[in-house]
Amino acid sequence: MTELDSSNVSSTAAKGQPSAATPVSKTAPPVTPKLSTWEWVRENLFSSPFNCGLTVVTTVILLTIFRGLLAFIFNPVRQWNGVATNLRLMMTRAYPEEQYVRVWVCVAVILILTGLSMAIWHAGSALPVSEVGRKLLTTGTILVLFALLAPFSTTATMLWLLVALVVLGFAELLRRSAGGLEGQTISTLTLLVITLSGLVASLWVIPYGHHSYIPKRDPRVLAEPGTVALSTKLPWTLMLVIAVVAYFTGRALRDRLPTNATRFTLIALWLLAPPALLYLVLRDPAFDMGHVATTDLPIFAAYALGGTALLSWLTRPSTGELGRIVSAVVLLAGFCSFLTPMRMIVRIDMLALAIFALAAPTFSGGPRAQKRYVAGWIGLLGVMSWLITAINTPSTVSVPGGFFIGGMSITLMVAVFTLVISFPLGIALALARTSSMPIFRLLATWFIEFVRGIPLITILIFFSIMVPLFLPRGMHLGEVAAVIIGYVLFSSAYLAENVRGGLQSITRGQQEAADAVGMTTAQKTLFIVLPQALRVSIPPLVGHCIGVFKETSLLAIIGVFDILYIGRIVIPGQTEFMGSTKENVLFVSLIYWIFAYQMSKASQRLEQRTGLGER
Amino acid sequence: MTDPATAETQTEPIRDLSKARDVIVCENVSKWYGDFQALDRVSATIKEQEVVVVLGPSGSGKSTWIRCINRLEQHQEGRIVVDDVELTNDLRNIEKVRSEVGMVFQQFNLFPHLKILDNVTLAPIWVRKKPRPEAESQAMALLERVGIPEQAQKYPGQLSGGQQQRVAIARALAMEPRIMLFDEPTSALDPEMIKEVLDVMKTLAQSGMTMMVVTHEMGFAKEVADRLIFMEGGQIVEQNSTEEFFSNPTEERTKLFLSQIL
Repeated sequence: MTELDSSNVSSTAAKGQPSAATPVSKTAPPVTPKLSTWEWVRENLFSSPFNCGLTVVTTVILLTIFRGLLAFIFNPVRQWNGVATNLRLMMTRAYPEEQYVRVWVCVAVILILTGLSMAIWHAGSALPVSEVGRKLLTTGTILVLFALLAPFSTTATMLWLLVALVVLGFAELLRRSAGGLEGQTISTLTLLVITLSGLVASLWVIPYGHHSYIPKRDPRVLAEPGTVALSTKLPWTLMLVIAVVAYFTGRALRDRLPTNATRFTLIALWLLAPPALLYLVLRDPAFDMGHVATTDLPIFAAYALGGTALLSWLTRPSTGELGRIVSAVVLLAGFCSFLTPMRMIVRIDMLALAIFALAAPTFSGGPRAQKRYVAGWIGLLGVMSWLITAINTPSTVSVPGGFFIGGMSITLMVAVFTLVISFPLGIALALARTSSMPIFRLLATWFIEFVRGIPLITILIFFSIMVPLFLPRGMHLGEVAAVIIGYVLFSSAYLAENVRGGLQSITRGQQEAADAVGMTTAQKTLFIVLPQALRVSIPPLVGHCIGVFKETSLLAIIGVFDILYIGRIVIPGQTEFMGSTKENVLFVSLIYWIFAYQMSKASQRLEQRTGLGER
Repeated sequence: MTDPATAETQTEPIRDLSKARDVIVCENVSKWYGDFQALDRVSATIKEQEVVVVLGPSGSGKSTWIRCINRLEQHQEGRIVVDDVELTNDLRNIEKVRSEVGMVFQQFNLFPHLKILDNVTLAPIWVRKKPRPEAESQAMALLERVGIPEQAQKYPGQLSGGQQQRVAIARALAMEPRIMLFDEPTSALDPEMIKEVLDVMKTLAQSGMTMMVVTHEMGFAKEVADRLIFMEGGQIVEQNSTEEFFSNPTEERTKLFLSQIL
């Protein structure tokens, strides 16, 4: 400890006054000379004849590609109006326009959660202003290239060049005034808000053109050109304000609330958000209050009371072995309930209770732990009952044909549901495959190898067509739900292999240390093995998430209207926008890229954050 | 590091352990790894509050034996009784013994994803079912005892080896064990750090903890141990009181070992 302290003192002192005050004098690290731009270019791009050639060839290739892309985008033949006019179709398919406020409510809820989470998890970092200037310089250079390479008229080129010069000038000003890396800093969040405000403000200023259909006319006809901005500028402004307000609310609450409890609540809300938004906000079930009072509430009350009694007995440390037997009986009863006709909710509740009962001994403890566990059960039961009732109630929103949403929303929905469900399943499979119990190991291995051996499309087709045939009489499963189940199985098999890689990185010493303090296998897995294994497998797991998100486009094969299908088939089928496939697909790929890139950025941040403790 | 015992040669009062209870009883314990016999009919008894140091060349079965005592390894023949509980395949017995027996490893084996404080409190909270505030104040007291309370909020990777090993001792003590096992606790440490760990172990021994220590630190053995056990080839070659062992070894093999080491 003393060595550490003295080295700290000397290094801090070395910055201010060299070696005079400190007993131990240490030499400062040599200063790396800062290269000017031309020196940098010579050293990194033109250091040898071969590198000169490489630089020139690569530049020419890149410029050609860039020019080709611009020529494609700005070709007057392109029908970008197809995208603009059909934005609503691409986002939500045929969701009724007069109910669109529901979509905005969903966006708002997600933004509120995002803002709160960013505050609670201390998102954002300080960026030196000179660094911002450097980034803007790059942007300005790209703008210059853009102006020169795009097939514009002379006036337009001049205008773009002017814009680029303004950006460049501003960037250089920032860089000079800020003064080096240790000068002023700016929060990355401020930058984010400035960028987003710019985008939102552009909705008020720039008329992003499109046509609109005149409603209730058959055959439908295009009306005069309007703008996308007309219908979205106010909502998006509101959304931005909501997000910023949510962030500052989170910051104000951050220091007053207990950190762990707040984070836990937020994670729970994030998990709750997708089903709640989808089935309560977007679908707007028309609850039949009589049915709710006579059937749903009594079932809930019975399980809440019975569960409370059972779980508070099970979480008592004195219960012991008898508790395990009782929970196994509950699980068996849950499985047996599928053999006799009864309400689905009764079966699902019983299975959930069995899982809670099986886990109870692990979380047993004093009265406070008991109370917390029972509260968790009632909370989960309440949410589950509410959602299942909502799903089973007919919707007030009438949408023609198929599932009630489509386009980007169904892409997101399928991806989120698949990932959220397949994560626990995949982890369980990985644990089973590495477990010492032969039957688990064998079953998990067979399942994983079987599922990995068949193409995703086969699974999707099988689940959309065959599964409804296998279901017991009286049980209905929507096609989308069936497909999600298939996708979950597929995804969990791959996830399991990624997690298994992480599990193998845990040394035997860690397990022995946990054994030596008397932890049970469940505690060891939950507190020691999994946290470390998951951290190691973040990169492959995020890769998997991106893959699942992108491969939702395969849903089109079984007739789900996802965004790619709409862009590829539906819009080019409209008489006004015949043959606009290329534009639509380019636009759709841009949207996919934005989402995937955000996921990849998030994973990088997560890696940095979780790696902090190790060093 | 040549001989830390010379600095403080005052011998501790000779304790009378003749009436103490037997807490670890091993009878003809044997273990094989495949065809290789790691333990060959090891029999020994350790009394309450006794400090026993196990010596021997590498591969002599010292670590295997000590790991059998809290069932990190399974013995195949013979009996091991720890605190009146016989180690069998019954899972409950094993968990009971493990929560009574603390263990410190050569490689520390701290949990790298948890802060020092959480490393120490994890088992008391989840195995002993202690309320968190109580477990935390106990953990801070233990960290104070091993001399590093100021590191409580750091991660293991930020600590030196000696500090990590002291945390590992605190982690084992947090379960309030009746017996402590040390499996070469200083073998992975720099010479400078060995002393800080040995000092902690000495105070622990003086407080009356029953300890079984596998080590190569002769100074520690001379100063602290009540009894020494010398092993080779999976067998106990000689066991004797510390004084007798060093001054008057009976077996030829022991004499050879001592002549090479001292």
